[in-house]
Amino acid sequence: MERILTRNVEKRDSETLAVYEAGGGYQALLKALRELSPDQLTDEIKRSGLRGRGGAGFPTGVKWSFMPKDPKKPSYLICNADESEPGTFKDRLLMEKDPHLMLEGCLLSSYAIRASACFVYIRGEYVHATRVLETAIAEAYAKGYAGRNILGSGWSCELVLHVGAGAYICGEETALMTSLEGNRGYPRLKPPFPAQAGLWGCPTTINNVETLVNVPFIVERGADWFLGIGKAPKNTGPKLYCLSGHVKRPGVYEAPLGLPLRELIYEIGGGMLRADRPLKAVIPGGSSVPVLTAAECDVDLDFDSLAAAGTMLGSAGIMVMDETTCMVQAIERIAHFYAHESCGQCTPCREGCGWMEKVLKRIEAGSGRNEDMDLLQSIASNIQGNTICPLGDAAAMPVASFVTKFRDEFQYHVDHKACLTGPRVREFAG
Amino acid sequence: MPKLTIDGKEVEAKAGNTVLQAALAQGLEIPHYCYHPGLSIAGNCRMCLVEMEKAPKLVISCATEVADGMAIATDSERVRTARAAMMEFFLINHPLDCPICDQAGECRLQDYAVEHGTGVSRFLEPKLTLSKAVDLGPHVMLDQERCIQCSRCIRFCDEVTRTGELGFFQRGDHTVIGTVPGKPLQNAYSGNVVDLCPVGALTLKEFRFQTRVWYLKNTPSVCAGCARGCNVIVGVGQQQVLMTTEGQLDDRIKRVVPRFNEAVNGHWICDEGRLSYERLHAAPRLDRPQAPRGTRVEWEDAVTRAATLLRNAAPGAVGAILSPRLTSEDLYAWSSLFAALGAVRIGAQTIVRGEDDGILLRADKGANSAGVRWILGPDATTPGVVSAIARGEVTTLLVVGDPLDPADTFSLDAAARSRVKTVIFVGAFLSGAAEAASVLLPSAAWSEEEGTLVNFEGRIQRVLRCHLPRGEARPGWKIASEVAAACGAGLPHWASAEEVLRSMAATVKEYRGLDLQAVSLLGVGAPGRAA
Amino acid sequence: MYGPDFEIKVDQIVARYPHPQAALLPVLWVVQRTRGWVDLASEEWVAERLGVSAAHVHGAVTFYTMFKQRPSGKYHVQICTTLSCMLRGCDELLEHVEKKLGIRAGETTPDGKFSMVRVECLGSCGTAPMLQLNDDYHENLTPEAVDRLLNGLP
Repeated sequence: MERILTRNVEKRDSETLAVYEAGGGYQALLKALRELSPDQLTDEIKRSGLRGRGGAGFPTGVKWSFMPKDPKKPSYLICNADESEPGTFKDRLLMEKDPHLMLEGCLLSSYAIRASACFVYIRGEYVHATRVLETAIAEAYAKGYAGRNILGSGWSCELVLHVGAGAYICGEETALMTSLEGNRGYPRLKPPFPAQAGLWGCPTTINNVETLVNVPFIVERGADWFLGIGKAPKNTGPKLYCLSGHVKRPGVYEAPLGLPLRELIYEIGGGMLRADRPLKAVIPGGSSVPVLTAAECDVDLDFDSLAAAGTMLGSAGIMVMDETTCMVQAIERIAHFYAHESCGQCTPCREGCGWMEKVLKRIEAGSGRNEDMDLLQSIASNIQGNTICPLGDAAAMPVASFVTKFRDEFQYHVDHKACLTGPRVREFAG
Repeated sequence: MPKLTIDGKEVEAKAGNTVLQAALAQGLEIPHYCYHPGLSIAGNCRMCLVEMEKAPKLVISCATEVADGMAIATDSERVRTARAAMMEFFLINHPLDCPICDQAGECRLQDYAVEHGTGVSRFLEPKLTLSKAVDLGPHVMLDQERCIQCSRCIRFCDEVTRTGELGFFQRGDHTVIGTVPGKPLQNAYSGNVVDLCPVGALTLKEFRFQTRVWYLKNTPSVCAGCARGCNVIVGVGQQQVLMTTEGQLDDRIKRVVPRFNEAVNGHWICDEGRLSYERLHAAPRLDRPQAPRGTRVEWEDAVTRAATLLRNAAPGAVGAILSPRLTSEDLYAWSSLFAALGAVRIGAQTIVRGEDDGILLRADKGANSAGVRWILGPDATTPGVVSAIARGEVTTLLVVGDPLDPADTFSLDAAARSRVKTVIFVGAFLSGAAEAASVLLPSAAWSEEEGTLVNFEGRIQRVLRCHLPRGEARPGWKIASEVAAACGAGLPHWASAEEVLRSMAATVKEYRGLDLQAVSLLGVGAPGRAA
Repeated sequence: MYGPDFEIKVDQIVARYPHPQAALLPVLWVVQRTRGWVDLASEEWVAERLGVSAAHVHGAVTFYTMFKQRPSGKYHVQICTTLSCMLRGCDELLEHVEKKLGIRAGETTPDGKFSMVRVECLGSCGTAPMLQLNDDYHENLTPEAVDRLLNGLP
């Protein structure tokens, strides 16, 4: 398949403006400013079927159409570069290796929603990507792609890089805004929605990095071209898949939406890390989604297929586990993540995530009881749907799915105070 | 006015209100912690979840604006399950402190746990251990373990006092509230966070461990600390166990909390006002008639002596200085006596400290300065009387002391003392001019008598009696009436403060047409008057 | 506070936003990069400069895990321990580093050269196990690679 989103990443000096322009970069911006109105651009994106690549899969064009056509206050675009979902590392690749693609996507999208500034909120740990972006932004300004009266169009847009400081919750769009405004990263109640009242009460759209990098291509080649990739009408376009865990070739791979999971693991990914350790489970969408057993892995990696299979595409962080994995240890590690990252604002998530972690730790340590499995399901169920933001659901769903699908392992821990998988495989880069 | 259905009953709500507000207005208590009518909406406790028709998830009623045709269920199976779930989450790390926690008896965690909880704990894990006695400031203690992170206290300091001393620190279930070193919770309204705290995380140092709240006898009244007249609830002790040395029940005031009055103080009171009851113990009480000072006499004797001294004084030689915290009833009674005696030079003290702070505190500490102006007239000032003393014109002085703060009672300096031959003192405390008095008549303190006070906006409000006067003390209006009778002045024989009010309604312009019912417990603006 | 250059930098940052409070995280970063960590005096300075309370700034510093409230080692070793790294041996990597440096996670060596912490997913799952040493990622680690890395630090 032709590499679209990742066409530049292996070029030498791919992060420089010179290389980007040499490959046709910023032509889409020029074209849009000359030939399309903001609403026409939005319509084209709507037609393409592009859905958000950050995790929720919301149709991007529809999201843009919520923005006011005649803003009385400044409108803003936020590029969500806070990539922190376990198993996900695609945005990092794009930012480090093709920052101008992202910036062009940001500028085009800002134009579509009539934004006067685009804030790029990047996680604090991505120091290298931050430095690359700082240079790229300076280059873009120097060339007149950003700032006042861009390319003589009359439209002005600032690009501001804003660095986070270690909080997964700031990837949630309202927490991101609260953080950007200079606060603890607490999510907000909705309504109001960001398009009505977002950053400083102004209309705001938040898009993921990968979502935005699709935009220049749609402008350049058209919505029909995009519809021809993947599975029209609702699962279209190229996708970056993050493969990790017990596979021979973990990494970021580009393929059309709808790539079969088995193809990703066994062909593109080189198969299981060790041939004598077969596949046991896969988490397909970053840790916040229900797990799939090996038997459930005959599924395509797109939004609707995975939803039909009772899980989600999410951030496309595909984490592969072989038979040596103790599922109790795995979910305990995941539960620890959510307990650590919970902002603490609302009761069910604050208390419930900590509780689930403690129960799982206790089971893992050999003090589990028969009642604990139902208890975990109950806690998970009590969190879900009752929180301010989806982090609570993100913690609850994996726990519920692990306990449901691998109950025998939990029971084994309770009965034998040991892992069903046998003694831990203690390998370091084995 | 949007019409919605709550539990099948049609309710008309105010536009812009939330479902929670609409329900509370109907007397339907949807349980909640973080919502408070005086603060912004936080929506973090998740206790007020209700079912809304057509919504897939439960919604928080505190943040859901009412809309025409909305249908809400507050007691469905789903809602009850969610509430029980939230209760469980609140309780898992909450310490089992009820036996030693001040909040017991007025604790929402207790109340909701009984009403909405499951009654059984499923939590086997070690509870979080945090600091249990953090000194936040001059008046407030924090127990981090009890905190339910509702953020009311933080919002108060951000939105009402705008001092921002409190914040959330750490994250997740390790979140605690606190102050930064060197910046304690020290604003003039810090005590309100204790009232706001739905649990026993924030406690008032002055009230900690004093008594159980169910032993308090609560009386609505008005603070006499300044001219704002914040509405309060005075809690008097009732415990049988602790006896004073004189064998009385310990019915001292244990605490004072704000009483909501939209027109005066909203939901709050200042710390000075909240703790002003401590002033009642700042000096020894004058609780028996004395004449001369140090010699106990019967009331009749003391009253007769006072009357004799007043009648025998030369015309124009009598002066009177009164506290601006006296009730209008007391002021009216004294004023009537002075009118009957004739040519009495009357002055009311002016007590001014600090500045109006734009929130509640007034620089004018005279809780009834407006009443003074209406009843004694704008020219009744202390300097006038003091100059008359200095000129040798006033030789008999009647001083009516401060009913709240002994330190504010009028005091004679050495020069004045040498010029005034006779001092008659009426007051609750042995302070100020009491030292120089030859006749001392014990009067009821602020919390011991009924009456009305007029605040700086001309609002007439009721002070109620919270506990009996100490010893043989009597209400000021009654003392004035008895002295008047002994002087042969024909004042009405009032049997109650209400009867004095009736007299005022007939003769004081600003009190025209008023009775207790009209004044009510929320006060009333005087008909056709300016302050 | 730390000289005129520092204040110029802060002013430049504040100018980027419509409201000064939004400069909170960027300014705290400048403090930390200048001083190595964020102390209470710095928090107070930042609060004053941006027009927020000291408690607000402290709340932010204690919320975001990358802000250090005490000095760390010259080399701050941050080992990712979330699921994908766990599947590729991060627990064993952690043990290896603990043994090598003689400290547990959360501690600093007595000579102040190394501090080590566990962190959550660093977005490097494809090259697990890995660690972040100060600003830089070190990926696809083996015991030998870790030893080479740590031994080679001045």
